[in-house]
Amino acid sequence: MDNSTVGKQRKATIWQVAKAVMFAFMGIRKKSDLENDAATLKPAQLIVGGIIGGVLFVISIMLLVRLIVS
Amino acid sequence: MAAVHGDAHGHEHDDHHPSGIMRWITTTNHKDIGTMYLWFSFAMFLTGGTLALGIRAELFQPGIQILQPELFNQFTTLHGLIMVFGAIMPAFVGFANWQVPLMIGAPDMAFARMNNWSFWLLIPAATLLVSSFFLPGGAAAGGWTFYPPLSTQGGLGVDFMIFAVHILGASSIMGSINIITTILNMRAPGMTLMKMPMFVWTWLITAYLLVLVMPVLAGTVTMLLTDRHFGTSFFNAAGGGDPVMFQHIFWFFGHPEVYIMILPSFGIVSEVIPTFSRKPLFGYSSMVYATASIAILSCVVWAHHMFTAGMPAVGQLFFMYATMLIAVPTGVKVFNWTATMWRGSMSFETPMLFSIGFIFLFVIGGFSGVICAIVPIDIQVQDTYYVIAHFHYVLVSGSLFALFAGAYYWIPKWTGRMYNETLGKAHFWLSMFFFNLTFFVQHFLGLAGMPRRIPDYNLQFADFNMISSIGAFGFGMTQLLFLYVMINCIRSGEKAPQKPWDGATTLEWTHLPTPAPYHSFEKPPVVQ
Repeated sequence: MDNSTVGKQRKATIWQVAKAVMFAFMGIRKKSDLENDAATLKPAQLIVGGIIGGVLFVISIMLLVRLIVS
Repeated sequence: MAAVHGDAHGHEHDDHHPSGIMRWITTTNHKDIGTMYLWFSFAMFLTGGTLALGIRAELFQPGIQILQPELFNQFTTLHGLIMVFGAIMPAFVGFANWQVPLMIGAPDMAFARMNNWSFWLLIPAATLLVSSFFLPGGAAAGGWTFYPPLSTQGGLGVDFMIFAVHILGASSIMGSINIITTILNMRAPGMTLMKMPMFVWTWLITAYLLVLVMPVLAGTVTMLLTDRHFGTSFFNAAGGGDPVMFQHIFWFFGHPEVYIMILPSFGIVSEVIPTFSRKPLFGYSSMVYATASIAILSCVVWAHHMFTAGMPAVGQLFFMYATMLIAVPTGVKVFNWTATMWRGSMSFETPMLFSIGFIFLFVIGGFSGVICAIVPIDIQVQDTYYVIAHFHYVLVSGSLFALFAGAYYWIPKWTGRMYNETLGKAHFWLSMFFFNLTFFVQHFLGLAGMPRRIPDYNLQFADFNMISSIGAFGFGMTQLLFLYVMINCIRSGEKAPQKPWDGATTLEWTHLPTPAPYHSFEKPPVVQ
């Protein structure tokens, strides 16, 4: 994908990926942060991050539910 | 224009194409295939609509007048299957075929021959579905969700339906692979992912969802087939199988399917509203993120369709919370559309009217969805007309209205001619009136306890059913007006300029003449 290969790339930290995924789950993101994401994150990182985020999301609701019914 | 093409032969060369019937059978041109998808889906829309009118005619009064219960059940089943798989989904693929290459500056779809095959597969599938009415025992009658044991016990019509779903699934998977490959590999230089038009983004995400869940559906119907004919007992409790497992597998497909039918309409509306508000889309990046997150969430909420099938409290709570959380990214989208219109210099041509109608009515459908997500309420309204009202607000005033918005918006680019604005507006207002007349009262019927999929009902439901049936016939007739407007536009509409909408900013308006030439973007445009 061309947007990830253009220009020199800084490496993204895990925290940056996690933040992008968390904002994606809410559906909002500041423009400057987004441009920063687009410059540093690779699509593969986002996909893996998204899957991990999805699993964590499911686990957290499960924990909440168990807390309520216990 | 010439600067984009750099084509010494001019446009006569661009417009060269084979003529006669073979043009359509052998075509690999994305515009031809898109056109065929759209006409096919409209034909299926009228077929499914006729079945709906049969249903509403029977329900006009209590008692059995027109359709015997067996035939009534076949009508409800085939109405659902034809509308979902034959009308709405192919219509969106038709839009993708026409618009994705034009909007990203690509000359055609990535796999042009497979594109032709994806379309022509639809014809045998539709033939199987429609012809099953004439089989001994008639068409499938267990509902569009074909739950066993009804679907394991039905006649030959169920086998026809299973094969039709197989073929339609294969067509959808090929279509999605084509769309994904086109978007990821064939964008014009400079068009990064985050510069893509919103319609392209929503289709990219939808295509991934389709590739994810269509094989699940294919597997489910294959298990049904082997249960029916080859002695397996996947869903037969007597043989150690589990009919509830069918519901879990079906809805693992079925819920993302709901989003497959709504995400592209989000895309269309996100193109139309900025154009007629003469402002860029508010919060473009939020829209991309919201679409992605709706897609992810749609895969973890399936069991809210089966709260009454029996599941532990933990499961009920999990699916209830997860479902309600989908309202967050969806709310972000509605906020962004509204904020796009805020202080824009708006004008209200037909595409804009349909888009605003979409927002207004889709929000009602979304809210009734959140209501259905609440377990104790759902247990009351499960299988009542409340649910029918809910999903018709999402699928008719959601998906269908967005399709109308898109058709009016892009028809000048497709045909080179303008539609009749007065008739277009009449189509919108009549649709709006009759749609609400048909479906709003169904909320009351559902809350009063009228079950779905029945040909007869108690007397206390008579008045609302009569109102609903009158609305349905009005809505059906109104769609013939749409057909007239489109044919009138194609045959004798006024010539359209290159950019009839002055707020439009995407490539097909800024870089291509009207009508779009048969071969466009042979040399890609450069996007700043």
